[in-house]
Amino acid sequence: MPEARADTLAVEVTDLVRAFGARKALDGVSLELPQGAFLSIFGPNGAGKTTLLRVLTTLANPSKGTAKVAGFDVVADAVELRDRIGLISHNPLLYPDLSAEENLLFFSEMYGVDDPAARVHELLTAVELDHRRLDLVRTFSRGMLQRLSIARALLHRPEVLFLDEPYSGLDPHAADILDQLIASVRAQHTFVMVSHDLTKGLELCSHALILAKGKVVLFDSRDNIDADEFARTYRSTVGMGVA
Amino acid sequence: MAKAPARVSSWRQFKAILKKDIVMELRTKEMLTSMTLYTLLTLVIYQIALSQSGSGFDIRLIAAGLVWLAFVFTSMLGLNRSLVHEKDQGCLEALLLSPVDRPVIFFAKAIGNLIFLMIVEVLTVPIFAVAFMSGRPIAGPFWMIALSAVVGSIGIAGVGTFLATMAVNARGGSFILSVLFIPLMYPALLAAVAGTSAVVLGGDGYQAAFWQSVGMGAGIDAIMLLAVFALYEFVVGA
Amino acid sequence: MAVDRNRLTFLAVAVGAVLTTVAFVMAFVFAAPVLANNTLTTGGGAMIGGQLIANPVLFSQKIFYFHVPVAITSFVVFFFTAFYGARFLMTKDKRYDTKARIATEVTLLFVGLTMITGDIWTRYEWGTWWVWEPRLTTYFIMMMLVIVYFVLRASIEDEERRAVYASAFGILAFLDAPLSFAITRIVPSGAHPVVLRAGGGLDAIQLSGFIIGLVGMLCLGYAVYQMRIREETVKERLEALKASLEG
Repeated sequence: MPEARADTLAVEVTDLVRAFGARKALDGVSLELPQGAFLSIFGPNGAGKTTLLRVLTTLANPSKGTAKVAGFDVVADAVELRDRIGLISHNPLLYPDLSAEENLLFFSEMYGVDDPAARVHELLTAVELDHRRLDLVRTFSRGMLQRLSIARALLHRPEVLFLDEPYSGLDPHAADILDQLIASVRAQHTFVMVSHDLTKGLELCSHALILAKGKVVLFDSRDNIDADEFARTYRSTVGMGVA
Repeated sequence: MAKAPARVSSWRQFKAILKKDIVMELRTKEMLTSMTLYTLLTLVIYQIALSQSGSGFDIRLIAAGLVWLAFVFTSMLGLNRSLVHEKDQGCLEALLLSPVDRPVIFFAKAIGNLIFLMIVEVLTVPIFAVAFMSGRPIAGPFWMIALSAVVGSIGIAGVGTFLATMAVNARGGSFILSVLFIPLMYPALLAAVAGTSAVVLGGDGYQAAFWQSVGMGAGIDAIMLLAVFALYEFVVGA
Repeated sequence: MAVDRNRLTFLAVAVGAVLTTVAFVMAFVFAAPVLANNTLTTGGGAMIGGQLIANPVLFSQKIFYFHVPVAITSFVVFFFTAFYGARFLMTKDKRYDTKARIATEVTLLFVGLTMITGDIWTRYEWGTWWVWEPRLTTYFIMMMLVIVYFVLRASIEDEERRAVYASAFGILAFLDAPLSFAITRIVPSGAHPVVLRAGGGLDAIQLSGFIIGLVGMLCLGYAVYQMRIREETVKERLEALKASLEG
């Protein structure tokens, strides 16, 4: 597979609707994100942030409209797309009764990574968990789980990384390590992050999106955003959001 | 960043999932111990139920039914646990995110469940025989019983894995699994008991009855497994 | 379109009621009684309709004029559970799931009637309240499957997932019914012989009474389904209105 052309958008969503019966989780969302960008998605509970993430990661299908990630349609090209995306969630997505190394080797097999042993070693070193590679994941702290989770997400060198509230539950030290890891791979990936942390989200992003009730309230690049005004808009949507 | 050209081989993924399940189970022995214990407890209940039947009672009349009942109860336990592992840390989602065909997940899980079920069966049958059938030998050859067990177990593992995938997302987990499983598996279980019973009891033409039952059991398995295979994609992603 | 459906439903109820009544009358007044195989040993028989009848009259056989149509109707409606379930899985359109659910409700109604009439038959035929003969066993399993369908629905919180699971189970359940029937007939069932009577040797009047009853039941089944669907559609439109007002 040739790598994505430089002008392919990382994320391209057109009039996306996800509904069941009368209830709409997403109601006509459209956005375009260039490669190498970092999108922070904000919004109140029930706004549709997680749903949007699930559609973009092929875990849920659109009811209407289209969504493309890295040039691949989330429905028609789902299998090829899965090879190019990674997800870091607040769930570690790791098997507690396997060791760190076994977990990564397993996912290497699922993604068909070449020379898995070397790649696993490389990543374990990068997240500073090589010394714990034989330990069962159930013995890991929250911060360690998150680091290992990042290693898992990066195994197959995805083009787009999705993060679903990755900082939640992390102590400051673990959050710092997460910052460093994201910074170290920032250049090679496009990021899409859902966050409740306004400051953090704005700090990291190149583009920002506010969702409420399944609709886009605001979508713009970071340069055009004034932090205070953004905060005000955000707070007003949280006020009107369905909890 | 260049991507590897070839699609991952399904066989490779299948092996990885199966190996993972076996390694996890061997490490914790959670499923096997609880399933075996459950079977032994079932045998105790049988003893209670049969305690007033007297020494003249020929248990061979109901032996096949009792054994299959034990298999069904214990498989409910095992099937539930096998899926709870996946749901726990969101691992099933991690699997669904990877470029694996959903049927591969199904086969790997079902075969894993089949292996565990058969291990428990291999332990149960001799214990049952020793506990209840001393002095009452079975009429036909043992390989026929083994065949009947295999055919029935394939159905249990296949349909059971499918239903467990749904039950793990339902309130009241293992209750729901039993309640879905028993009516749906009624034909397969009836065929299995009939086949096993024919061998145990013997009599004129028992081979014909055996082959008929096992044949029907295999046919029922085939139909149910085909349906479950087709439906799995919808259910696992929901 | 809605008007036509309404009229059709009304027609179905009317036709169904008329036909089942006709079948009822025919069953008890016109259709020849079916005689048991054993001859009466005492009393030497009685004069019925100008003929000396020596075999006991099987009143219980009359139940078949209702039992079988109701049973067949329940199976026909059950087909729609599976059919709409499959349509839902293909389109993810909530309306199909609603149709499947209503079809299952109607199936439950008719299966319940099947069990009741079947039980009455057993009581008069065998003198016991239940017998594990193939047809009754199959319908018992079917009744369990339909009840379990609703238990499953009640235990899933997410709406779309509930619909997907129910559709899948509905399809499997519908496949299971004929399999149950086949296995109960083939597997040696020990004490209870297979009772094959309905359809064997019915004369013209008996047969027409039976067919009329069957058509009548099917009409009633259709009518009940349509009425429930109407009710559900109205409910869903109300929900949609409420949701959009809150928006």
